[in-house]
Amino acid sequence: MRTCSPPLILSRRRALTIVAGTAAALMTGRVAPAAPAFHVWEGTALGAPARLILVGAAEHASKAAVRACLDEVERLEREFSLYRPDSALSRLNANGVLDRPSLDLFRLLRLSATVGEQTGGAFDVTVQPLWQAYADHFTAHPDACSGPPPAAIAEACSRVGCRRLSVRSERIALAPGMALTFNGIAQGYITDRVADLLRARGYTNVLVEMGEIRALGPAPAEPPWSIALAAPPSAAAEPLSLPLRDGAIASSAGAATAFDPAARFHHLFVPDTGRSADAFAAVTVVAPRATLADALSTALYVAPPSRIPAIVGRYPGVLALLTLHSGQRLRIPAA
Amino acid sequence: MASTSGADLLRRRCACVALAVGLLVLMLAVPTGFALAAEGGRRTLSAAELDAVFPGAAAAGPFEGQPPAAAVRGADGRLTGYVVSTFDTLGSTGYSGKPLDVLVGVDGAGVITGALLVRQTEPILVIGITEDDLRRYVAGFAGINVTLRGTLATGAAPDQAYPAVISGASVSSAVIRDAVIRAVTAVAGSRGVLGRASAAARVDIAGFVPATWAELTADGSIGCRRFTQAEGTKLLLELCVGLATPARIGENLLGKLAYNRLAAMLGAADQAIMIAAAGLVSVKGTAFVRSGHFERLQLVQGARTFGLTTAGYVNVEALRTAGGPEFREIGVFVIPADAGFDAGAPWRLDVLVPDGGASAEAILSIDYALPARYVLSPQPADAPVAEQPSFADAPPLWQETWRSRWSAIAAVSVMLIVLSVVLVFQEAVVRRPVFYRRLRLAYLAVTLLWLGWWAGGQLSVVNVLTFVHSLMTGFQWEFFLLDPVIFILWGYVAAALLFLGRGVYCGWLCPFGALQELLAEAARLVRLPQLVVPFALHERLWPLKYIIFLGLFAVSLGSTRLAFVGAEIEPFKTVMSMTFLREWPFVVYAIALLLAGLFIERFFCRYLCPLGAALAIPARMRMFEWLKRRPQCGRECGICFQRCPVQAIHPEGQINPNECIHCLNCQRVYADDALCPPLAARRKRRERREALATGAGVKRGEV
Repeated sequence: MRTCSPPLILSRRRALTIVAGTAAALMTGRVAPAAPAFHVWEGTALGAPARLILVGAAEHASKAAVRACLDEVERLEREFSLYRPDSALSRLNANGVLDRPSLDLFRLLRLSATVGEQTGGAFDVTVQPLWQAYADHFTAHPDACSGPPPAAIAEACSRVGCRRLSVRSERIALAPGMALTFNGIAQGYITDRVADLLRARGYTNVLVEMGEIRALGPAPAEPPWSIALAAPPSAAAEPLSLPLRDGAIASSAGAATAFDPAARFHHLFVPDTGRSADAFAAVTVVAPRATLADALSTALYVAPPSRIPAIVGRYPGVLALLTLHSGQRLRIPAA
Repeated sequence: MASTSGADLLRRRCACVALAVGLLVLMLAVPTGFALAAEGGRRTLSAAELDAVFPGAAAAGPFEGQPPAAAVRGADGRLTGYVVSTFDTLGSTGYSGKPLDVLVGVDGAGVITGALLVRQTEPILVIGITEDDLRRYVAGFAGINVTLRGTLATGAAPDQAYPAVISGASVSSAVIRDAVIRAVTAVAGSRGVLGRASAAARVDIAGFVPATWAELTADGSIGCRRFTQAEGTKLLLELCVGLATPARIGENLLGKLAYNRLAAMLGAADQAIMIAAAGLVSVKGTAFVRSGHFERLQLVQGARTFGLTTAGYVNVEALRTAGGPEFREIGVFVIPADAGFDAGAPWRLDVLVPDGGASAEAILSIDYALPARYVLSPQPADAPVAEQPSFADAPPLWQETWRSRWSAIAAVSVMLIVLSVVLVFQEAVVRRPVFYRRLRLAYLAVTLLWLGWWAGGQLSVVNVLTFVHSLMTGFQWEFFLLDPVIFILWGYVAAALLFLGRGVYCGWLCPFGALQELLAEAARLVRLPQLVVPFALHERLWPLKYIIFLGLFAVSLGSTRLAFVGAEIEPFKTVMSMTFLREWPFVVYAIALLLAGLFIERFFCRYLCPLGAALAIPARMRMFEWLKRRPQCGRECGICFQRCPVQAIHPEGQINPNECIHCLNCQRVYADDALCPPLAARRKRRERREALATGAGVKRGEV
């Protein structure tokens, strides 16, 4: 018997599907007969629904481009995936060291460190022990209404922190007990790599949805890509559409990957306390690139709300939309 | 038998008891094994399961092959696709680390026909999600094209898409999705559904024609790209790359001397690439001197990433090509053959530009595709993907294989006919010792060189295990027909087992056996001392191979894969199919066996070979006894006992058919009236008689 409050779960991935689906629907409604042909690939990448909208080019070229993108996604999953035991990241977590990391893994670690510094430690790839502690707790007690015991959280917290992470180009090394997760940044990184790959192939007008959303160029008809923002799982917010041209959007919502039916315990941890953050229902970030949008949406979700304007202010061209549990939205910087 | 002593009798009885115990263990192991099989992997499909994953299918075969899959047939009996079990194929586990098994149907075009969750134990899934949700999610994979891992539509967003990931369980559902796609891709790829897997292209490395820098860049032999700084047009990096292995590129770039040095250093399938760079950014960095790893460079091909190391790296001061520009850094980097790089397929070079901020593009890429002129087995690189030929109309794969391998089939047939003639007329053959010896050596050489190394005709205990399993789970000819040489050999061996015993295969047709025997011949030629194992010890070492076989068999009932690992006790794969090009422990093992064989002929065959054991067991049913003995054998004479290369003849004179390799050596002795004492005695008597008859007048006085 469940004694906790009823589940309030809607996946973040689901939200993005709705978002991009809306974009496609908006587009199909608007395309004039003279508009350039476009190809829509829909499938999964990184375990979630994924989509590519390629404008222009012949079908066989688009097919080849899609295959190249999927190869790139597969290649990067072999680097960053936590659920593949043979990925570079899993091997790093298992062995504590990784020799001769790929450029991608090395660069993602450095980007993570940069964003971590710039957000005052709100973004932290070393929180994986916390996730493991929560996952173990809720696996052992599926009906639990409370999180892991404080001692377990404190113990996991002691294994979190970038200071004991050694990143050198020829070897990444973790202190004993440490583990990394790229789940707050890898999808953005992969989205960017796919977008770059398509641009190198000559595509100038593309929407990439590989975990996060990235647009190249405007949509086929002149007004830019229109991205509908879904209401967060736990709050009734007004529908909102954001225009997107040559930029990226990422959202974080704790309820998307909750451990418990009430979604009080989820994957977005405050690195200092080891608790799931609960200031917002969702955080959406618009940024030039998806890697940054992804990392910042994670960081802002767990950062102390008072510091958010200062963090956002560091990044030119970044816009944050904070959805409160009431459904109200805050825009930073204010329009 | 009359001469059997009490001790011998006792020993035989012990052997019988041991055999009975072995059989009992086997009989006990079989049901346990079935239980294991049911626990460890799927063996049959129920009608309901088949209907769920492959609507419209009439019948499905057993799960078989590697990776395992069940062939699905339509009402007209034609192959229409396969059913894959993710657990059988990948040993897939869910987030909880416990098995999850999804059955997936895939048709001839690589489209998933249906999917069914048959087993899962995912505690984390229980939260907020019903088992039905999960089943629905899995069922939603129908319609997905595995080659595209999704759908591609023109002009409008299609309604069909991958099933949405279930709320709150993205990790587990990601695991399921990954398992489904990887298992189906593995099976579809191995069965030719996705087109034949193309081998790495062969590159024309020898053809040298002088060429200028302009010519090489114009035809794509060298690819160049300029990167400018975001603001303004200041050159950030000018990057030129090319495959340096072909002489037309490498020798023109490096000069004859340096190219020859490079070529001498490269292994047969190693590849070398040239990277030249100019601009503000260093592509080599400096850390490689210390770490042996170029931290700013990586090669990407498809889904694979190749790091560049200093192994084989050559720093180049200047290019020798006429009209070439100046570069700040030039180097030749080696990609070893075992890295899996395909020089004929397109690749790209990634360069990390250091100190790029979080929002700046910090990895620069240049694409490269080797021009078709260098590719010996051309593969269209950018041609539109051809539509799959109609799968249902294609002839069965095995017929195609038999047609394409007709020459090997003809040659192996000739070999077997020759062997049959030798066996049928063995008396006539062994009466001509020189001819017999030459014939045997020649035959063994053909067995080793042609059958073993060229035609891939080395049988293995793995074949036996697969065969027995197929008998238990539903036999299908098609699976065994896929390799014509092995199929024909097995057919012949089966008949030979019934007629004469296992020796026909072991002594004449086994390439590894032939290798051991030829090496032993060579060892005797250089007078290496040959060890004679005391018969009492020898006899007690025989059971080893039966124990190994029984062990492998028992393991195979639980896990075929584990048994195949265990079957590495046979060095056949190392020596025959991989020609020693393998990780060193395997090579050391194989060489150790061959070394032992130099002093104890066919050491492996005598004591270790599980295939020999597997053949010896059914060979007890054999019908004919063509190897002749005399009543005097073992009593008055022990020549054959000493001459038998594998000591298969008991001191008492009888030939042990379980150990005999049917080499006919004893028959040569048997027919040699100079060697075989009873025959020699008879000859002397005959000569005497003849002498009496012809030279009666002369000799009589002496007698």
